[in-house]
Amino acid sequence: MKRRSFIKNSTLASAGTISMPYILPSGIMGMTTTPPLSEYVVFVLFAGGVRQQEAVLQRYLAEGQNENVEGNIMYNMLAGAPPDDKIAYGQDDTVNNIIGGIPIDPILQTPLDQIGTLFPEVRFSKGGAGHFSGLSTGVSGNYSTTQGLKSRPAAPTIFEYLRRHAGFKATDCWFVGVGITGSRPLLNYSANEAYGRMYGGNFIAPTVTFGSPGMQHFMNFKNYHPDTEWNKILEMREFLNQNFRNEGLEISHLYNDLEEEDSIKEFVKKTFEKVNSGSLTLPPVNDNGDLKTIGYAVELLNWFKPKLTVVDMSNIDVCHGNYTAYLKNLHRGDHGVGFLWREIQRIPEMAGKTTLIVMPEHGRDLEPNPIMDDNDWFAYDHSGNNENTRRIFSLMAGPNIDAGLRVGGVNNPIGDASDIVPTIAELFGIKDTVINKGLLDPSSRSLFDRI
Amino acid sequence: MNMQTSGRTTIKLFGLILMILFAACEKEYYVYDINDVDITPLNSYKDKPKTHSQYISILYANMFQTAIGPNQMLQALKAIESIGDKQVAYDILVSKYMNDPNVKLPSNESMRSDPEGFIRDTYKRFLVRQPTEAELQWMINYIESRPSLTTELVYFSFATSNEHAHY
Repeated sequence: MKRRSFIKNSTLASAGTISMPYILPSGIMGMTTTPPLSEYVVFVLFAGGVRQQEAVLQRYLAEGQNENVEGNIMYNMLAGAPPDDKIAYGQDDTVNNIIGGIPIDPILQTPLDQIGTLFPEVRFSKGGAGHFSGLSTGVSGNYSTTQGLKSRPAAPTIFEYLRRHAGFKATDCWFVGVGITGSRPLLNYSANEAYGRMYGGNFIAPTVTFGSPGMQHFMNFKNYHPDTEWNKILEMREFLNQNFRNEGLEISHLYNDLEEEDSIKEFVKKTFEKVNSGSLTLPPVNDNGDLKTIGYAVELLNWFKPKLTVVDMSNIDVCHGNYTAYLKNLHRGDHGVGFLWREIQRIPEMAGKTTLIVMPEHGRDLEPNPIMDDNDWFAYDHSGNNENTRRIFSLMAGPNIDAGLRVGGVNNPIGDASDIVPTIAELFGIKDTVINKGLLDPSSRSLFDRI
Repeated sequence: MNMQTSGRTTIKLFGLILMILFAACEKEYYVYDINDVDITPLNSYKDKPKTHSQYISILYANMFQTAIGPNQMLQALKAIESIGDKQVAYDILVSKYMNDPNVKLPSNESMRSDPEGFIRDTYKRFLVRQPTEAELQWMINYIESRPSLTTELVYFSFATSNEHAHY
């Protein structure tokens, strides 16, 4: 779809909302609902603090290490030729003893920025550029400028908006965390009193659930027969719970109905079987936690077909102490996103109906710290008040999204880290409802409105 | 004249005595009252959620009759935190423990032979209180009307109940 026709269609759709409210597939209708633009959304929070220089600017070592080698090491997401010298971002070349010397083959024939729309210069405009702050902004559309770790986002998350205003079920909404550190398990619902746990999304950190902790305490859990055993447990538990009805005092469940609870348990059981039989759908290269998490996310997409899945990656953060490892993990992050897009197209229900959004949670410093790696390359932190940490990008591809469009540039930043929530809300037809709640950051706008 | 005065004085005095006598015979009213008492369920004092660590350590002790080791505790804690819906996470954890050959469960025969004793012990073990008469009767009826009910299923329901997750 060309830009002009897209704008025309968008305008017509917007006009339609004034005169004809749309009934969402969930049956919810309101004056602020519009036709959904996509049936499914997968949002990748990429991937632990990315410098623009090595990402969309494709400068490789030219700006980071003062070596005259440029090139694109994210060729599943971005168009551009890879570096032709000092290759250190791929798989280790054990024959010639070169760390990272063999680049990973591209998965996608057409990079995602050619399939969709790229906002190459976006701003993380407020607060400190910390991981939790970035992840929280990504899922809530608001900056947690006064919020510390170990507390839920103050503003409602996109999961809560969708469950409350679009009628999504709990298993329609998933946060797939790369782990349980950094307060990630708190990102599936907010502390906002009007929303909260009742509207929360499901959370799973699969490398933990299916890793050593889960193998010790979850794997081979017992199956109870639904008619002769499980229903008795439920009857007795219901009786016990009826006698303990103190307000709000319940195990913090997420309002999955019984069918959904069974489905989650069955997913856990089946995934353990796949882990043990070595039949997980993993990316071709899966030598870090991010790529394993992406593989588990694909398993989850195949099982639940969630309306919204948020996946978080973090291995790039190794850049605090090892620049070469950072390059390798950036390359692998791109590999994971390419794999994710390919696998989505292999799920019949989701193929051609899914929007993929990719955005780093924040950037990284312009200047290095003193730590050098084996290649004598300097490491980079993400510090407060360093403007380079505020530079990120947004990429989206899927139905009703312009192909090959770039919006903004280095000298013309367009977009904000808080934009993804209203963008997803627009994709599911509840943008105006969400905006009218007044809980988004004032600078937040749907990416469609920024085009 | 003196006689008249003396007679009036006598009448007044007599009247005064009568008033005193009547006043002394006035009936006293007693109001018997009771203090207001709030009647609350036995478990109403449990208003704090157990932390995941507390829940796991108590659960483990109840299931295996021994304390959980620190490394096992850390791993169990991570497993629980990796799943957002804690009811689902607890269900899976308890299911896993029920599959462990070292789990300590009373025999089904002991439950059948003395259901009241079994119920009282189970309430005490998991909920740290005695059942009310209504709870006791419901549970006895439930056990006696379901021949296929096992102690494992009873323990599972207690272990994953809301009250067991609070103190």
